[in-house]
Amino acid sequence: MSGIVTILYAILIMIYIAMGAAIVFHMLHYKINRHASMIMFFIYAIGGSLLLLSNFILFNSVNWYQIASNFRF
Amino acid sequence: MYEEFHFPGQRENENIILFLRRHWFIFLKRLLLIIAAIMALVFIYFAFSALNHNFAESEFHNLLLFGESLATLFVWNFFFILWLDFYLDAWIVTNERIINIAQRGFFNRDISELKLTKIQDVTSEIIGVIPTLLNYGNIYVQTAGKEERFTFYQIPNPNYVKNVIVELQEKERQSEEKELGSFVRGEP
Repeated sequence: MSGIVTILYAILIMIYIAMGAAIVFHMLHYKINRHASMIMFFIYAIGGSLLLLSNFILFNSVNWYQIASNFRF
Repeated sequence: MYEEFHFPGQRENENIILFLRRHWFIFLKRLLLIIAAIMALVFIYFAFSALNHNFAESEFHNLLLFGESLATLFVWNFFFILWLDFYLDAWIVTNERIINIAQRGFFNRDISELKLTKIQDVTSEIIGVIPTLLNYGNIYVQTAGKEERFTFYQIPNPNYVKNVIVELQEKERQSEEKELGSFVRGEP
């Protein structure tokens, strides 16, 4: 059960990171206003990393075995 | 005024006269989706807590927090996608031409330009109560070419922008006529 959850979680995180990479590419590649795009890039990168870290901590704090037992898996 | 702005294909002596994006209210309207998503996440948490008083001690509490955190990750991305769509959509009026940069989602970008001398007619329109109060609307630039119209969507101060384009077009036309006149007369 835990293995399946981990794989599903990894897929979701990969989708998130792929979207993030596309966002960063658009921010830094099209330099209409370098100052504005750099500020937004730092906000995005710092905020995104903190959210990802907290999400990973919460993923590990969930008792997946207990939850699967409750659902009779 | 626009020294910090750059666009692809900018020429050496080309000065940016106007740099336009959609009105901030358009971005705010899109931002309401993000605010609604955040409010929904908060509501779901409090709804579960209110329905089950021991919810904070149950194993589902962490599961809900994890789910909400995962949703927040994607809401965070969605906000920046909306911002990029707003930020990368631009209309630039220079002393030589008008450039329209249209960003449609990821990896889909259209850049079209129009020489000021090709302009035949410029029309501005403000339709609706909110656009009238906030002074934003569309500008249609009629060209001599096959493409009927060059459109600026939901830009601030459309009447002022229209006047600037007409003035620039008149200046550019006069300077072109002067150059042609000197050429015909054989002046250096």
